[in-house]
Amino acid sequence: MANVAVEPTGETVYLTPDETVLGGLYKAGFAYTVGCRRGGCGICKVDLVSGEVSHERTVADTVLTDAERATGTCLSCRAVPVGDITIALRGEELRLINPLLHSINERARQRAEALLHATSLHSTSTHKE
Amino acid sequence: MGIMRMGYAHVRVTDLAEAKQHYANTLGLYETLSTDGKVYYKGWDEWDHHSVVLEEGGVGVVKYGFKVEYESDIDLVEKRAQEFGLTVERMSAGENPEVSDGIRFTAPSEHVFEVYHSQTLIGTEVGTHNPEAFPRHLVGVGVPALDHSLILAEDVRTMENMFKHVFDFFPTERVQTDLNDDDAHYIASWLTSNNQIHQIAVLEGPQGKLHHFAFKLQDWTEIGRAADLFAMDDVPIDIGPTRHGITRGQTIYFFDPSGNRNEVFAGGYPAYRDRPINKWTPDQIAKGIFYHARELNERFTTVST
Repeated sequence: MANVAVEPTGETVYLTPDETVLGGLYKAGFAYTVGCRRGGCGICKVDLVSGEVSHERTVADTVLTDAERATGTCLSCRAVPVGDITIALRGEELRLINPLLHSINERARQRAEALLHATSLHSTSTHKE
Repeated sequence: MGIMRMGYAHVRVTDLAEAKQHYANTLGLYETLSTDGKVYYKGWDEWDHHSVVLEEGGVGVVKYGFKVEYESDIDLVEKRAQEFGLTVERMSAGENPEVSDGIRFTAPSEHVFEVYHSQTLIGTEVGTHNPEAFPRHLVGVGVPALDHSLILAEDVRTMENMFKHVFDFFPTERVQTDLNDDDAHYIASWLTSNNQIHQIAVLEGPQGKLHHFAFKLQDWTEIGRAADLFAMDDVPIDIGPTRHGITRGQTIYFFDPSGNRNEVFAGGYPAYRDRPINKWTPDQIAKGIFYHARELNERFTTVST
């Protein structure tokens, strides 16, 4: 699980493990310019502002060059966050197209945060004993 | 005589195992050979050895093969290609497994075309001896055959001229800026050599790119069933089921696991050399491409491999 924050608004979306950035954003009711959704066309590239992603499936060198990888280009349909990340779209803003999906995602994010908080409180108190 | 059809499309895929799942189990192509990092397929109603070649590494199209009727047609096509100013090389039998000798040239669009006269004959899956209507145990969509491809090129008019001169193709439909051909800028052209509404189409765009390659289906019912199977197999659908105004074909555009665009295409009216060309003006291109939505999705002109 990871949180993806999208600049400039800082809108934050909660992703389940192994979910791609594109998959997570769309599942949370957001839209932006995407193409084949299978790593072939390169239309859904975004900039990775902070954090780390893993392109776990093979991506053609012609679609995502080594130079792009090194300078933080993230092919969002293939990139899976490793921990929390912040991204910036290129030349457009994230559009909320489905508020219902957004609210479902927001509740999931809050639940995950509360759980994490409770777990850390519990481990702290256990430690004291 | 001359070019009969697009015999094969050879494309790149990033992951051969995933691609095989798509082309064999979702589309239902029959694997005829696997060697040297490439997999060869045919549809159930095709008799030659293969119509699709998948090569691991990258995305997009490697080359197309067009089949001529007679061996002597090769010389004719070679001569016409040279007349057009293309550099033609001879290819020998076996350079492509189970494919005859022939010629190869690179088009002004940077796409590679091969022309050959025969492939090893395998036969259709129903045979020729009192054949049944279709194979009983088709897999997935069960596409019968490769149909056509749409490629991108910076100069559509030159590509149309090339196909006309070298392949003796004729255009069936066009998108052009003026109904008077001399004054018009060609945006797209659909071409064939026979009654099939198009074997190749060219759309203005970046050089050397693949827009899609298509498989044949019969009608709306088969198109609808294909869409259901794409849902079951989580295949990303680009658009459809819908109709093209151009060709009148029924269609679904979808993506293979590497992001190459595929199509299942049904119908289309019969083409004839003496039938006047259907001309579409740029203001109606959206209706020409997607007849029902009458709106081009943002992917149509931006997404290629």
